[in-house]
Amino acid sequence: MPGINMWAVFRAQLHASIYWYKNNKWLAVTMFFWPYLMILVLVGLGSIMGSFELYTERMNLSSPGFYLISASAIAMTSVGIIDGVAGFALYNRWLGTLNYIILSPIRESKLFIAAGLPDSLLSALVTIVAVMPAAIYVEGLLGSLKLLIILAFMLAGMIPLIGLSVLAASALLVVKEESNIINSIVPFILLVSGVFYPVTVLPRILQVVSLAVPTRYVVDAAKMVSTFSTPSGAALMLLLGMLALLGIIYNTIAGVAIMRAEKAVKMRGVD
Amino acid sequence: MTDSPVTAIDAQGLVKNYLSYDRRGFLKKEKRIVKALKGVSFSVRWGEVFGLLGPNGAGKTTTVKIITTLLLPDDGKALVNGYDVVKEPIDVRRSIGVVLNVERGFFWKLTGRENLRYFGMLKGLKGRDLEERIDKVVSLVGLDKIGAVDKLYEEYSLGMKARLALARALLSDPPILVLDEPTLGLDPPAAREIRRLLIKLAKDEGKGVMITTHNMFEAEIVCDRVGIISAGKIVALGTVSELKKLVAEEIPIQVKFSGIVKERLTVLEDYLKKSVGVQKLRITEVDNGFELRILTPIGNEEKVIANAVLALTNKGLSILRAEVMEPTLEDVFIKVTS
Repeated sequence: MPGINMWAVFRAQLHASIYWYKNNKWLAVTMFFWPYLMILVLVGLGSIMGSFELYTERMNLSSPGFYLISASAIAMTSVGIIDGVAGFALYNRWLGTLNYIILSPIRESKLFIAAGLPDSLLSALVTIVAVMPAAIYVEGLLGSLKLLIILAFMLAGMIPLIGLSVLAASALLVVKEESNIINSIVPFILLVSGVFYPVTVLPRILQVVSLAVPTRYVVDAAKMVSTFSTPSGAALMLLLGMLALLGIIYNTIAGVAIMRAEKAVKMRGVD
Repeated sequence: MTDSPVTAIDAQGLVKNYLSYDRRGFLKKEKRIVKALKGVSFSVRWGEVFGLLGPNGAGKTTTVKIITTLLLPDDGKALVNGYDVVKEPIDVRRSIGVVLNVERGFFWKLTGRENLRYFGMLKGLKGRDLEERIDKVVSLVGLDKIGAVDKLYEEYSLGMKARLALARALLSDPPILVLDEPTLGLDPPAAREIRRLLIKLAKDEGKGVMITTHNMFEAEIVCDRVGIISAGKIVALGTVSELKKLVAEEIPIQVKFSGIVKERLTVLEDYLKKSVGVQKLRITEVDNGFELRILTPIGNEEKVIANAVLALTNKGLSILRAEVMEPTLEDVFIKVTS
């Protein structure tokens, strides 16, 4: 008897997400404001150690307005991916739907990856659409083109971030104090990725850790795109290469981890 | 798998131990092994409703979770529709419809129909097939009659939630249904409708239906066969009439009385055991009072009923009714689990 494939899970979850936004119109509307709130957070955090001008200088930004817009989009998307993939198990456990979702005729490892994707993609697309008017206002049509380049990096950055999120999801399934993992991982990734401060001001150990954080390379791309009107193609390709490498590493480890988590959970029982 | 499985569900010697930790201070924890199942064996035939009964913590939910592939057994084997729950979980999942908790398990901000679409897609249904199945199961469980299917789940009453849970279990038209307390908390008309539907699904469509319940009345009228589980073991197994024969040498006596507070019932039970001279008795709260049920050997009932009435009267309680009863499944339950 055949089971279902990951595409069927993706479609089901996409439908559920669309129904959810349809039935929660105000929440859908507020999603378009969140990136602007994030811009305020970035400005606030960036200015803690001095004025906004100092922050711009420290971050080495020639177009701070555009950088803030794109950094906000990157931060929102990163949060969206981790929440979408790693938070999937947690959210459904709270709702009592996890058991029924696991009863789908598909391996749990495939199920969790496919089910977490629609929300992550929707979050990225909504964020880009939301900040597009601001990008056009700041930099004209060139701003929208730059934003599309950053979107491409965000999508490329999603691949390793999904692997990282699956690792977090594996831990979530095994340990009991689930919410602590998500609550810690999101701020940590944002901190070491250089969204708030340049990586160079972080302690040495965090600078090393940041090399393994996919969001860092998306932020670097955003800085490059917002600094130069025609950024170096080779430099951008290097960043894409790093994202591809991290994608392979994290997804390979995540594949093993989720299968172990699957077995551990089934020995203990799905709640 | 076998070509044509003889039974819908066949569980043999299921064993499950849980590791539990007892806190001993702030950081110290003590390991404890909880033996949830100690070799549970039973089968569910095609076209029958099988009831798994047992007190809280007896192992009913653990058994259901193993049968539905949500939990791995430590030992033993279970075949569902001929598929091994450990080696062929995907095939088992395609063969079953499951209700685990009628109170939750759906997305609150989606309508009943949207929820069914989602879970239907996760079972591999799509397009027109999916819509037709949704219409059919919604009509089967009566959600269409009460106009609930297009309401948000958060607006559902418990009865509606139970119907929707059953609709989801039936969505992929599985040959086997595993239902954990499917009528829990339902009002009598809704519970009756669900019971009728379960019998219809087993008798008319030949499905194998396994339910767990605390409700002895329900088990007696719905189940073809019953397994009683206690402390992780099946302690009685058979048809309801076969099980009643287990208490044939004993006859139940029922005395309805009032005039006591609930907190004093345990003391009263101990007093009655001594003064009436029987050990198998239980007091439960009923409408306008309490009910004392005593199991006593046949031939002894007149003496026991007189002693019970006297003992209750001596305590200043009002006797509302006293009678010798036919044995019920509850009497069997009390006997085999005590």
